[in-house]
Amino acid sequence: MNASLRLIGIFAIVFIAAPLLIVVPMSLSTSASLQFPPPGLWLGYYASYFTDMSWLRPTWNSLVIAFFTTLLTMALVVPATFALVRHRFYGKSVANLMMLMPLAVPHIVMAVGYYSYFGDLRLVFSKTGVVLAHTCLSVPITFLVLSANLKGFDRNLERAARSLGATPRQVFVHITLPILRPSLTISALFAFIQSFDETVVALFISGRDAETLPRKMFDSIRQEADPVIAVISTLLFLIVALALLAPHAMRLTRRMLATASRRTTPRDQT
Amino acid sequence: MSTAPRSLTDRPTLWPWLLLTPLALYLAIFFLVPLAQVAWMSVSEPTPGFGNYADALTGTLFRKVMLNTFFTAALVAFCCLLVGYPLAWLMTKTTPARATAILLLITMSFWTSFLVRTYAWMVLLGRNGPVAWAIEALGYGEPPQMLFTRFASTLAMVHILAPYMIMNIYSVMTKIDPALIRSAESMGARGGSLMRHVYLPLTAPGIANGAVLVFVICLGFYVTPVLLGSPREQMAAGLIGRQIEEFLAFGPGSAMAMILLAVTLVILAVYHRRFGLDRLYG
Repeated sequence: MNASLRLIGIFAIVFIAAPLLIVVPMSLSTSASLQFPPPGLWLGYYASYFTDMSWLRPTWNSLVIAFFTTLLTMALVVPATFALVRHRFYGKSVANLMMLMPLAVPHIVMAVGYYSYFGDLRLVFSKTGVVLAHTCLSVPITFLVLSANLKGFDRNLERAARSLGATPRQVFVHITLPILRPSLTISALFAFIQSFDETVVALFISGRDAETLPRKMFDSIRQEADPVIAVISTLLFLIVALALLAPHAMRLTRRMLATASRRTTPRDQT
Repeated sequence: MSTAPRSLTDRPTLWPWLLLTPLALYLAIFFLVPLAQVAWMSVSEPTPGFGNYADALTGTLFRKVMLNTFFTAALVAFCCLLVGYPLAWLMTKTTPARATAILLLITMSFWTSFLVRTYAWMVLLGRNGPVAWAIEALGYGEPPQMLFTRFASTLAMVHILAPYMIMNIYSVMTKIDPALIRSAESMGARGGSLMRHVYLPLTAPGIANGAVLVFVICLGFYVTPVLLGSPREQMAAGLIGRQIEEFLAFGPGSAMAMILLAVTLVILAVYHRRFGLDRLYG
């Protein structure tokens, strides 16, 4: 029983890892038709990604849209999360549910709604429209991350500062915000990535002018794969991998340096 | 009324309302109104009435697509469990360093864009891809058509959604009191029976959480089935997208969207009453 479970577990690791890793050799292939094993290696498709405006423009659009989505989401969600975590009031559970609502609606349903609604408002095919839509979709995840952190916040720290004579404003700026900075960063990151990756709504409302990277990738994959897709996939995967591995690598080097220095420095020094 | 002394901030004030109003207004204007517009279009385009719903529910195409959607979502949830349960179990049994490495891999997969992962399966299962190459190299002859089939889209969706399942099960598994397992073992539970009578019931909440989450996300999946699946075996989201994009049939498309939404909400509401919605993504 245990042996077979272990075997399936190891198989599952391969199942999860293989698709992530396969895009890397494919991005270096000379073949344009996803041939395995790659007939030869070169960096030509990287060069074409970084010089082709039809790929760079959607990348830039996606970054701009994700940036403003993050700003707007944080501006709306941070105060609301404080209200919901720190206060008791009538209708709180309804408000809580309202924050999570966008999570429950399939994106295709919202895409249909935005397509016609923003059409009426003349916001369809504009970056503004995509930002406004993405902000709604980013609210739940940002709220969930932030509220989980805010619930674990030790309010005695604020009370201590108050009792020492700090004004509520000072408490917020010097105590609350610094402590929450990591959770604010993480929830902002969630909002950014949610917008940067969002495909379905962008597919319907971004049009030619505000074309996002996922939309461009979707169209390109559908029309029999431009090899540049492999390059972008590799880059997107490597960004994620580096972001996740960097803290581990840093901790590991620090530990190695610490043990190394302990070995080399004489004990009796100072 | 609670008898515990209330702290200063619990006094009724206007603060929570002031803090909540901007977001509430925003969601009303940019979330509820577009949603209401879908509902409105479904009963007003092209003619007022419930004709679109009647057409959708009596027509064979929509019924077939809905059934296929349910079947696929259930299949994907089940496969995620098959992949996820042993992996979560392995993580609790192996060394902390290895468990961290596996967790890192799953997190990496989770954060990698849907499209990248969908594309990766296109590469893997392509006519000249690694899987076809392996089949030929091992002497099994001409590889079958794998892309643009139910097999391809199901496999990719399992891969994309497995992290949700694994995280849910793993978080429950790590909270199991080892004393329970030890006492079960001391009373003679071994291998299969330990798994069936002790481990599975203890991890059931995680399984339920993960399965509902995967099922619901899968119901509304658009990208992967459209890109990898067979055009003859569409899923609901793909059909809705085509109504709007290709046929500009806003009424029928909206009615189908409302039905999909209703199904999703019913499942989530049942779940919410039992467990609470905010636990789902926790």
